[in-house]
Amino acid sequence: MVKWSLVGAAALALAATAAQAADGKPIVIGIPIGLSGANSVVAPSVVQAAELAVEEINAKGGVLGRKLVLEVADDASGAAGAQKAFDSLIYQKKVDVLISMETSAARNAGLPAVTKGKVPYIYTSFYEGHSCNRNMFVDAWVPEQQVPPVVDAFKAKGAKTYFLIGSDYAFGRGMLGFAKSYVEKAGGKVLGEEYLPMDGSDWTAIVSKLKEAKPDALITSTAGGAPNVTLTKQLRGAGVTLPFANLALDEGTAKSMGADAEGVYLSASYVTGIDSPENKAFLAAMQKKFSAELRTPNDLSVPEYEAIYLYKAAVEKAGGTETAKVLEALPTVSFTGPRGTITMSKQHHAPLTMYLGQIQKDGTVKVAGTFKDVDPGEQCPKLP
Amino acid sequence: MLLTLDILTTAAILFIVSIGLLAIFGVLKIINFAHGAWLTVGAYCAVVTAKIGLNPWAALPLAFVIGAALGGLAEHFIIRPLYRRPLDAILATWGLGIVLGQLITLAFGRDVQLTPNLYAGTVEILGVDYSAYRLVALGIALAIGTLFALTIERTRLGLSARAVIMNETLARSLGIDTGRVRLVVFMIGAGFAGLAGVLLTPLTSVDPNMGVSWLIGAFMLVMVADASYLALAAACLVFGAAQVLISTFVSPILGSIAVAVLAALVLRISPKGFSRA
Repeated sequence: MVKWSLVGAAALALAATAAQAADGKPIVIGIPIGLSGANSVVAPSVVQAAELAVEEINAKGGVLGRKLVLEVADDASGAAGAQKAFDSLIYQKKVDVLISMETSAARNAGLPAVTKGKVPYIYTSFYEGHSCNRNMFVDAWVPEQQVPPVVDAFKAKGAKTYFLIGSDYAFGRGMLGFAKSYVEKAGGKVLGEEYLPMDGSDWTAIVSKLKEAKPDALITSTAGGAPNVTLTKQLRGAGVTLPFANLALDEGTAKSMGADAEGVYLSASYVTGIDSPENKAFLAAMQKKFSAELRTPNDLSVPEYEAIYLYKAAVEKAGGTETAKVLEALPTVSFTGPRGTITMSKQHHAPLTMYLGQIQKDGTVKVAGTFKDVDPGEQCPKLP
Repeated sequence: MLLTLDILTTAAILFIVSIGLLAIFGVLKIINFAHGAWLTVGAYCAVVTAKIGLNPWAALPLAFVIGAALGGLAEHFIIRPLYRRPLDAILATWGLGIVLGQLITLAFGRDVQLTPNLYAGTVEILGVDYSAYRLVALGIALAIGTLFALTIERTRLGLSARAVIMNETLARSLGIDTGRVRLVVFMIGAGFAGLAGVLLTPLTSVDPNMGVSWLIGAFMLVMVADASYLALAAACLVFGAAQVLISTFVSPILGSIAVAVLAALVLRISPKGFSRA
């Protein structure tokens, strides 16, 4: 009897040291992200948001007593780079979770490694929708959430006919394809749908077609950055003053366009002007941490910040970082952040409050409409 | 009417973009693949002019001077040893273009830059509202063309340049300093490229890679035009028209490759391109 209790005590002691070891070991968050290539302009802002989240959580004692550590890897904004980045994060750095904003090409290339390596993955970029994987959760918007506010607002202003212009790639075509079906469902009519290759810079013929079609409203969805600016400049140069919504516009690009962007509508789940205590506290903390180095927080960086908190909540609920338990907990936990309360409860996606913004003369965004908890729709009906 | 204006202004913009490349190719017989970078440098002159608060049009002389000065340096240190090795010159100028692009990225960052509009608003012509700036660009293209023609036909430099084009050995033996002619022509070509960069700013995004998308079109046009500015003007009109018509009536995606495909076809059928006509 004495002998057995001794063994029991020893086993307990062993278990205790094992638990302590787990306590001391930090939780590693992998961030595969496009530090070079197409996403290089926005990537630094995303990394900054992640750094702030980790700093805040660690300052309050970490997660289950363990500190959070970031491991950033460049995916070069594309498929080939993403395969390398995911492999090195999952197999060499042995990360506990992947949380990041990436291009669709990079996400798709990384998913097989996520499945094989059995790590949870929170994707924090808005995208064209319907990307489904047991290990992946998404806390950013899909077309079903971004397009309706724009079309509803135009419809309320009496617009019946629409013209759509975009860049010729998956996201541009996906967004406008959805916009077209939504417009038609709402009883409107699409007079034209035109695309130019991503590296095209001459929109002359398309602008002329738009002017001849004389629609009530214009919706564009180009690739970010250069094509967006080029199209807007040429539209303004041609004197186009229709109600104009730009599905690919963010606050930063709007600012660099200056007067050309004035009056343009955008639709986003985050704008810096959101009037909530959480957003104000977040902006102040970002300003304090990065001061002169600060990259303006945006619709791609804020979901990253919130996703880290969502992961924290899931680990706390699951009682550890074990993948199966974390995946079970992820759709049930919520976090109230700058964008409001986020829960990734709808088929691995999240209902989001969307904001219709209008660009002002000084490049800032005025919130022209708020659409509460817009549903992402049927994204992954086959996932549990 | 809209279509005619689109064709004329598209041709004008193509002409403005490719005239600098033509000048260099005509006399030096090398293709300056750093042409795209010179366009970018010119556009960033507009950014700098705006930053120091000058009138946006002041960017034009600034871009010409800076483009020409950089052109002079490039000719002296990089191009000059390569005149007898045109293939190496392609490689060297391509590399130079990459270096210039990276230097611009280092100095200004990757982001899209804000430039003030040179000439905003629209004008009504025969019942259609048309971009005023595109019409101004048409005028500028005509002015540049005239200036170019006068330089070639009426000045000492033009005479020497034509002599170098026809028979460089003979020109040198007649006492023409052909080295200097090459230097000056390269500087003028580079200056025009810088100028074109400024003139593009109201139409396109200003970022470190902006020149690349214009380089291919300019290259194709110059190949077709050989060394003649009149042939270049004709090529711009024909290909510009093809681009606009295909974009309007078939698909803008096909339209955007019209210049490259048609130029390849023309060169296949008639290797001397438009210059024979």
